[in-house]
Amino acid sequence: MPTFTHGDISIEVDEDGFMEEPDQWNEEIAKALATTEGVDEMTEEHWKLVNYLRDYYLKFGIAPMIRKLCKETGFPLKKVYELFPSGPAKGACKVAGLAKPTGCV
Amino acid sequence: MRTQPINEQERERAFSSVKKPEVTERQQLDVRYHVEDHEVTGRPRAFLEAFAAILRHTNYRMALEHFVRVSAKCARCAVQCPVYQATNDVKDIPCYRSELLLSVYRRHFTMSGSLIGRLTGTGHLTDETVQQMAESFWNCTACRRCTIECPVGIDHALITHLGRFILSEIGIAPRALVVSTREQLEGKTGNTSAVPVPALSDTLEFLEEDMEEEKGVPIKFPLDVEGAEYLFTPAVSDFLMEAETLMGIAAVFAATGGSWTISTNYFDAINYGLFYNDRILERVIRKLYSETERLKTRAILIGECGHASRTAKYYVPVHCGGDQAKPVYNIMEYTYRMYKEGKLKLQPGTITEKVTYHDPCNIARQGWIVDQPRELIRAFCSDVVEMQPLGQDNICCGGGGGTVSIDEIRPYRTTVGGKAKADQIRATGAKYLIAPCANCKKQLRELVEDQEIDCEVVGLHDLIYKAIMFEGQPAEMQTAQEKG
Repeated sequence: MPTFTHGDISIEVDEDGFMEEPDQWNEEIAKALATTEGVDEMTEEHWKLVNYLRDYYLKFGIAPMIRKLCKETGFPLKKVYELFPSGPAKGACKVAGLAKPTGCV
Repeated sequence: MRTQPINEQERERAFSSVKKPEVTERQQLDVRYHVEDHEVTGRPRAFLEAFAAILRHTNYRMALEHFVRVSAKCARCAVQCPVYQATNDVKDIPCYRSELLLSVYRRHFTMSGSLIGRLTGTGHLTDETVQQMAESFWNCTACRRCTIECPVGIDHALITHLGRFILSEIGIAPRALVVSTREQLEGKTGNTSAVPVPALSDTLEFLEEDMEEEKGVPIKFPLDVEGAEYLFTPAVSDFLMEAETLMGIAAVFAATGGSWTISTNYFDAINYGLFYNDRILERVIRKLYSETERLKTRAILIGECGHASRTAKYYVPVHCGGDQAKPVYNIMEYTYRMYKEGKLKLQPGTITEKVTYHDPCNIARQGWIVDQPRELIRAFCSDVVEMQPLGQDNICCGGGGGTVSIDEIRPYRTTVGGKAKADQIRATGAKYLIAPCANCKKQLRELVEDQEIDCEVVGLHDLIYKAIMFEGQPAEMQTAQEKG
């Protein structure tokens, strides 16, 4: 199992860098994971997206539909890609500590 | 079909390793997709045992007997293969790939082959060949263009399919597919994307609110309606990714008064078994069919998804009652029939930007669904341009055969597998690329992004949603034009 280390943080991740144990997530881990997605600084907008994903995940056990994500955060999809260049499923979800999406996603 | 071979830089990008050296070392397997750990000692023997077991319990021997006799290795398939056209590597010629497995069959499972092999002491399956197959069979997108071209009728895609099946029996299959089907067949959620039921309900309620707001009429996703005419199952990923496709489908049912339902017990038509393992394929088919029996629907209706439609249509009769099995349709067949019967009204000229239509291999290659969507598109799009070749001869999106779900090979898919497609799309100059398949949509979005083509990939029902007209719809909401 690969380990991701950044500063004081050391967590188990899969080959694609997604957290193996999403329950261990916290804001410091989010900041560290963001660096792997080309996001060196988490702005207010980054947090808005990540916190929404995190809350939805805790409530429903999965990421929200992309249309819902855009509508609830007020960010068009293009903006989501600007914030997280690998996109909502691969980028934002990784930083929010969700497991890697499976199936045709 | 002709596309330029990739250059050195592209080759490096497409074929770079995604694995850490220690994983490659441990698994003794240098392939570009992730594989779960498996027994690496004695792989050739395990491969032959699995092959023998499959031959004993299936009809593959009949096909292989024919193929080894007629195979002339004429390489006519080479001109039809988008992968070979891009790599220019002899190993990617379909009949070269097929020969990897046919030679194993000839040597170990035919009388003359094993006799000659034993007399000369040659031709034993080696671990190196097993590894070659593990790489080669997953370089193919299973688009089946080669099969149409072969003058002696060799089904190269079937051989690749069988090769992947045997490999998966010894633990070599892309992990992305394996974990998805494991969740689908044995997991808590019972679907490939692990969508829990509360999330499904929340998503559908959200879409219903949006539709009523946008169209001014109530449009519902009926859940668990016993005795409905159609059990509707899309690729489950649509519930995460393809809001507009689902809205378009719900709108078509609302406008035509159709009887349909989504089951909260099972709502995933994806069947990755088609891509790597017949036993998985059968279990997924049975799971789908038991749901239509539980809800007593007349038929199964598959959403915008090529492989899911193909597996259900062709394997439901195989595993669930032959001629007596309930019929399977693709959603485009329903929408088309409603349009022809005059129950579905589409506003002409709703879409004025240039559109083009991509044929998903799994519904077009056999000529099943080619003309229906085109007639629908022409009903409400004023500027339609076609890619060449098309229909039964179409070119694959580049992510077929399960490869689209393997994220780690995206550079391969968008540089090699999808190169010919990218040329086609670019040549049309279309603003909208209509691809009625969850698999193709994901691949084509990544393809246009990586190849820097300015075009939006949408489903057919995404656009139908814009063009659909309802009786009793508030006037100001009729033919709601594109909002971009």
